[in-house]
Amino acid sequence: MSEEFEPKIIAFVCTYCTYAGADLAGTSRLKYAPNVRMIRLPCTGRISPMFILKALQKGADGILVSGCHPGDCHFTHGNFHARRRWTVFRSLLNFVGIPQERVWFSWISAAEGNKFAETINKMTEEIRKLGPFKQYQQLIEEMETPAKV
Amino acid sequence: MGALEILKDRAKQLLTAGEVKMVIGYGRGSTADRRRAIFISDEAQADKLVLDKSCEDNLAGYLVREGLLQDGKKVAIFLSPAGIRSVNVLAAEDQLNPDQVVILGFEIKGDQVSALDGHHVNGFIELVGQIKKQGLSKDREELIAKLEKMTPPERFEFWRAQFSKCLKCYACRQGCPMCYCRRCIVDRNQPQWINTSPHSMGNFEWNIVRAFHLAGRCVGCGNCERACPVGIPLMLLNQQMAAEVLSAFDHFAGMNSTQEPVLASFKREDPDTFIL
Repeated sequence: MSEEFEPKIIAFVCTYCTYAGADLAGTSRLKYAPNVRMIRLPCTGRISPMFILKALQKGADGILVSGCHPGDCHFTHGNFHARRRWTVFRSLLNFVGIPQERVWFSWISAAEGNKFAETINKMTEEIRKLGPFKQYQQLIEEMETPAKV
Repeated sequence: MGALEILKDRAKQLLTAGEVKMVIGYGRGSTADRRRAIFISDEAQADKLVLDKSCEDNLAGYLVREGLLQDGKKVAIFLSPAGIRSVNVLAAEDQLNPDQVVILGFEIKGDQVSALDGHHVNGFIELVGQIKKQGLSKDREELIAKLEKMTPPERFEFWRAQFSKCLKCYACRQGCPMCYCRRCIVDRNQPQWINTSPHSMGNFEWNIVRAFHLAGRCVGCGNCERACPVGIPLMLLNQQMAAEVLSAFDHFAGMNSTQEPVLASFKREDPDTFIL
């Protein structure tokens, strides 16, 4: 019997809201899928689209970008800038054929430990259904195969 | 008088009067239907200028070449409406002072070339407004519609095949008037964001990032696609980005010389329906 596919999910989160929300989920002893690797950044405004591409390049099956709700940003408007950037970048990813179901965005505040756990669980399930991101992972394989002489 | 004569006369007058130090225009290229940029600082040379329907390249990128405008003197330049919009974007991004640019405007419609009135970018605001009203380029609508109907894996395969042709020559970047960064992100190697070898992964990343960096800045002049030696339809990506910023933020690149860059500004009521 084959083992169930365990998706690799990379979460880019801001330290003031979503990371604190994840902390709350932990201290509240909420159980959530262990498939997520969190990367903490000062603000969603700090998250460059390059991070998403890098995560895909290293074999991620799903990506979550999460930060403070609009109006709650520690730096007052970092997430507003991020929101514009993601609107555009998401449409670009879709246009080149990177499914939108693999790149998620959410606002999770420091008080929303529940929402964090739920989002991670839901995302893990949905991406498990999608399966590994084979198309992109073939590019990795091609990159790592030595050229034929 | 044809457009060339009108603009050539204007160029000569500007040079004779010492109002501009240089005229950037089109001269003969390597074949009968090619044109290349020429740089004239002596009015006697002005007869080398050519203007016809082959003058498709956007020359605005030459304005931001290092040192050209640093002495505060003026430069005259042949520009199509797309070129005029590029000057607006460059001015809005503080790359040049629009008062130093004397525009010799022209418009190509089919085989006809006509001269445009005005010499300062602010004189063309109405014209750019009309272009916005006309809507985005309808080029290759069929192909775009076909792409939109595809499933993501099919689209991925389409672009993988296209990008696999890429040689990483960066001609698209060199030809683009908006790609003025002294150190482009592909040239950075600590950390190395984009693989520089021309395998599919690096090609994918490069072309995505190039399109993203032009989002809301591309004026659709088509220099990148004409420069591409392997014929990747780069303008499809650029048009998609332009359509996105127009529909989501009502942003049309190069409206005027003080327009806020779309990704460096925001509105509280921007759409965020995709965020959970």
